[in-house]
Amino acid sequence: MTGPLFEVRGLGKHYFGVTAVAELSFAVPEGEIVGLIGPNGSGKSTTIDCVSGFQPADSGRWFLAGAELTGRKPHTHAAAGLVRTFQTVRAYDRLSLADNLAVAAQAHDGVGWWAALRASPALRRAERATAERAGELLEIVGLAEYAEAPAAILSYGQRKLLAIAAAMMTRPRLVVLDEPVAGVNPTMIRRIEAAIRRLNADGAALLIVEHNVGFIMNLCGSVIVLEQGRKIAEGPPGLIREDRRVLAAYLGAEAEPAADG
Amino acid sequence: MSARVFSAAAVTIAVAALASLPLWSSSPYLFELGITAAVFTVLSTGLNLVYGYTGLLSFAQVAFFGIGGYTAALLAVNEGLSVFAGALAGGGLAILLGLVIGYTSLRLSRHAFAIVSLSFALLCLILSRDWVSLTRGPMGVHGLLAPVLTLPGLGKLRFDRPPEFYELMLVYALVVLALVHRLVRSRLGRAFVAIKLNQPLAESQGIDPLRYRLLAIAVSAFTSGVAGGLYVFHLTIVDPSIFDFYYTETMLIMVIVGGPGSFWGVVAASLAFSAIPDLLRFTTDLRMVLYGAVLIVAMLVLPGGFGGLAASRRRAAAKPA
Repeated sequence: MTGPLFEVRGLGKHYFGVTAVAELSFAVPEGEIVGLIGPNGSGKSTTIDCVSGFQPADSGRWFLAGAELTGRKPHTHAAAGLVRTFQTVRAYDRLSLADNLAVAAQAHDGVGWWAALRASPALRRAERATAERAGELLEIVGLAEYAEAPAAILSYGQRKLLAIAAAMMTRPRLVVLDEPVAGVNPTMIRRIEAAIRRLNADGAALLIVEHNVGFIMNLCGSVIVLEQGRKIAEGPPGLIREDRRVLAAYLGAEAEPAADG
Repeated sequence: MSARVFSAAAVTIAVAALASLPLWSSSPYLFELGITAAVFTVLSTGLNLVYGYTGLLSFAQVAFFGIGGYTAALLAVNEGLSVFAGALAGGGLAILLGLVIGYTSLRLSRHAFAIVSLSFALLCLILSRDWVSLTRGPMGVHGLLAPVLTLPGLGKLRFDRPPEFYELMLVYALVVLALVHRLVRSRLGRAFVAIKLNQPLAESQGIDPLRYRLLAIAVSAFTSGVAGGLYVFHLTIVDPSIFDFYYTETMLIMVIVGGPGSFWGVVAASLAFSAIPDLLRFTTDLRMVLYGAVLIVAMLVLPGGFGGLAASRRRAAAKPA
């Protein structure tokens, strides 16, 4: 493998003349967990919306494992191995948890429409493997008892866990998590962190956008800091914590070691 | 498990009862009603597939129906093609046009599809009336002869009388229902529902909404087109009224009252609402007004349709006291 797993070069995005992201370049190496932080309005969400295909970028290119994904549709990103979650957690409310996970997996097992329609042996094998994997994942995120219940019954934190499990079902190479622990209680944060570590141990790299700085510092091998759409710092959490520009722009008093989660 | 056995038995009994209708009734009125019900069940199940499952409001179903009717009629009259070949050609043309309007409008949004499908249906109506050299204008194509099916070993089956035509449409409707049932119960149907429930999530998981929606449009265009291609040979005429908004309205009522996304709910509503206009025939002037009133009451009392009611009963039964 030459170069990083995921690479963004010169990303730019403007809304009606306001610069949301400018000249942003970064990389996520294979197997790493990278954090993306910054104050509100610093361009984090815009960045991940662009590089997952949900918003057109004004400039810049991005590559996953050497293959260019610039300008491609969201489902093409997912097919290539880049899956994202959403800040406003999304789930198929009326479907069971097991079906939520099965849907997430079904575009990735290579079984075509015709095989699906005539219920071919390949389809049955694939669906059985999916069901098994879904069962394991629900076990890991602690939602196994609700496997047959509709997703609508889950609490906010549980929905975030389901979203991570669903992302894992797509056999991702890179998972982009949009605020995985925002508004979630401390117990649930620990469960989400465990799920993320498990996802990483299974071989996926992660790019995590989060406001909870302690959570990011604890989890990530490297952290990128944005301010007003520009990258102002990048490096391991220890160095970011000491960086004067970061302290001034974002972390403020919270950056003292006491803030470690 | 026992629920599956029960529903299989229920379907078998219903099919046997419907198929044996000519044995225990000779009422032409009943056969006419049965033919209407079969046609509307096919049309509303097609609309349910597109609207109820994938979330696309389509006004083009009547256009597919009429295109099938005109194609089969013109091919039979001008080229001497058999009814069945003509109906299949009509279904094929409907698929092609359905894919064209679907592909072009869905690149924008599903609201664009609703508007384009409506315009397409109106365009078909105008063309059928004004492109006289092709469609023979407001007079329509008449003198259509009943289909004849030559079966090896069995001789010729003629469908010129209501009981025979009723059996033909019943078989066709059952084939369509079996096909669509298979589709929506497969994981393709699961993807349809996922797209309708949360399109961005489905996209983020690698599901291409456009491809799935085009599949649903193509299937419903074909089944509606073939239904039109067969039905006009029972009417013995096809004229611009086959594109009438009445069909669209009736299909929508059946799907909404049946419960969008509920397979059996829509089938039940199709049967019920095929009978209601005939039951209301005593008052020709108020017929459609009363029909509208029934729809409004149904929406107030059953917001999720028959299907929604059944689902909430199931939920209530599953919940421990």
